[in-house]
Amino acid sequence: MSIEIRNISKTFESFQALQGVSLEVKSGELMALLGPSGSGKTTLLRIIAGLEFPDPGSGEVVFHGEDVTGQGAQQRQVGFVFQHYALFRHLTVFENIAFGLRVRPRNRRPTEAKIIEKVTELLRLIQLEGLAGRYPSQLSGGQRQRVALARSLAVEPRVLLLDEPFGALDAKVRKELRRWLRRLHDEIHVTSLFVTHDQDEALEVADRVVVMNHGRIEQVGTPKEVYDQPANPFVYDFLGNVNLFRGRLNSGRVQIGSANFQAPDHPETLDAPALAFVRPHDIKLSRQASSEASMSATIVQLSALGPYVRVELRQEDGELLEVQLTQEEERQFLPRPGETVFVELRNLRVFASDYSI
Amino acid sequence: MIFRLKQRSVLPGFKLTLGYSLLYLSLVVLIPLSAVFLKSATNGWQHFWEAATAPRVLASYKLTFGMSLLAALVNSAFGLVVAWVLVRYHFPGKRIVDALVDLPFALPTAVAGISLAAVYSSHGWIGQILERVGIKVAFTPLGVWVALTFIGLPFVVRTVQPVIEDLNTDLEEAAASLGASRWQILWRVIFPILRPALQTGFALAFARALGEYGSVVFISGNMPMRTEISSLLIITKLEQYDYAGATAIAVVMLLVSFALLFLINWNQARSHRFL
Repeated sequence: MSIEIRNISKTFESFQALQGVSLEVKSGELMALLGPSGSGKTTLLRIIAGLEFPDPGSGEVVFHGEDVTGQGAQQRQVGFVFQHYALFRHLTVFENIAFGLRVRPRNRRPTEAKIIEKVTELLRLIQLEGLAGRYPSQLSGGQRQRVALARSLAVEPRVLLLDEPFGALDAKVRKELRRWLRRLHDEIHVTSLFVTHDQDEALEVADRVVVMNHGRIEQVGTPKEVYDQPANPFVYDFLGNVNLFRGRLNSGRVQIGSANFQAPDHPETLDAPALAFVRPHDIKLSRQASSEASMSATIVQLSALGPYVRVELRQEDGELLEVQLTQEEERQFLPRPGETVFVELRNLRVFASDYSI
Repeated sequence: MIFRLKQRSVLPGFKLTLGYSLLYLSLVVLIPLSAVFLKSATNGWQHFWEAATAPRVLASYKLTFGMSLLAALVNSAFGLVVAWVLVRYHFPGKRIVDALVDLPFALPTAVAGISLAAVYSSHGWIGQILERVGIKVAFTPLGVWVALTFIGLPFVVRTVQPVIEDLNTDLEEAAASLGASRWQILWRVIFPILRPALQTGFALAFARALGEYGSVVFISGNMPMRTEISSLLIITKLEQYDYAGATAIAVVMLLVSFALLFLINWNQARSHRFL
């Protein structure tokens, strides 16, 4: 079941949450809506679910060729998973999962035997077979979210929508659960869209990622595409740590301070301000100046972050620079605070700076 | 180790507060109530039984418990609606309406009784309209019910209101996305969550109505066998210096009220398992 969103806008009083957003989710795809808070990702998800409605006359929501814009959540047959689970606390795990089947009109309601069969199957899927009789208050956060997922799957939804599904869980459970969601999706292949503000989560789990900001879509692509070929400075900045340099772009080369780099994406730009980005793990330190490593900087601080060592340096112009070394690189180079070294920037990405972040 | 070390906690004074609570309850509740039992026994079992089961007294029990129950039931339904409207909707004058709900708490019951009697009597504003369609309120059991409903309303509203405020709209949205109709959401999701609070409100309104005196006696007319409530009979007996007789009725009221409240609370504890 594919989802197509055409030119949707949404205004809350004076705040415009979505500005003419169009998006296509392919059938059977697991897609992430990624963005900072206030970027409109949750609003978009709720509009797809039918819990919120776009501004009158602004566009359509289409499920597999069928225009569902006017339908409410009751008719759309979507599974929706909430950040805070929204389980019915007066019902057992079993009854929570069975809820969607029991509220069907009499002529479409499955028999009790069918309901038991379906719920048992789902309990097996979420690996909570033994807990059918528990109440939500007797479950851990991760278990509750799995029950919420099973509940939404029980009605065999056309699409599955998840609003920050792991947001309320602690870091370890979060990781486990998102991997589990990925495996589950590989098994059941229901078209799914999930909202997150955690770029690791989006990059790890999704087939494709939609990066949103200020009610607009900045880029749509596979995790590799958005990470390696960000469409603009915002996407680059949002996906992981970056070092920002300001310079001037001229005929395919960019001048940053005293150093000069190739900028093959911009052969025609003549003498324009530019922004250049480098990821912390794309910077190499050396003690000798060379044609590649012509910028010097002073080491300010070292901090160990598990498998990595973060090195903070101060450039000649006073700007801070962040470099990430593996433990092995650190052992070989032995950086010392106070030392002045040369840095080599690799995989520099240059944007003409008419775009601000 | 034979002696367990005293459990240390952040807030000291468990023994002190427990002792104080017991003393306070004894002085204010238990001792006066046991005095009722003792007093009712002064003239022997025979007299107690006669006083407590005279036809006029039995009729008053029926009226008091029946109308209290009815008033509490109606209050539960309408109190729920009022609480819902006050939480979920925004309308001009909402804060005034919200404050008005507490009025039956604050008003001296005699004032309530007099105004109700004035409004619902056959010359009153509402009374004369109802009279035209053949409904008499003042000086009938219906009047008793009106008074008991009036004084019980805030109990239901104030116990249910905070629960509705805490009610997450996520739940309604989740139910809707699962295909539940509005009616099903109300009945299968919202009502079960509100039920414990509603039961508490019902129990409070009911208990309050059982003991009510001031607001009822003006509108009921106090006709023996028809519109005489038990509290009034107790006062009547006291005025005739029949202390044993008065306390006999009181003991019956006390036991039945206690049994009913116990039943409601027990039922509620059962339905609270999921919290």
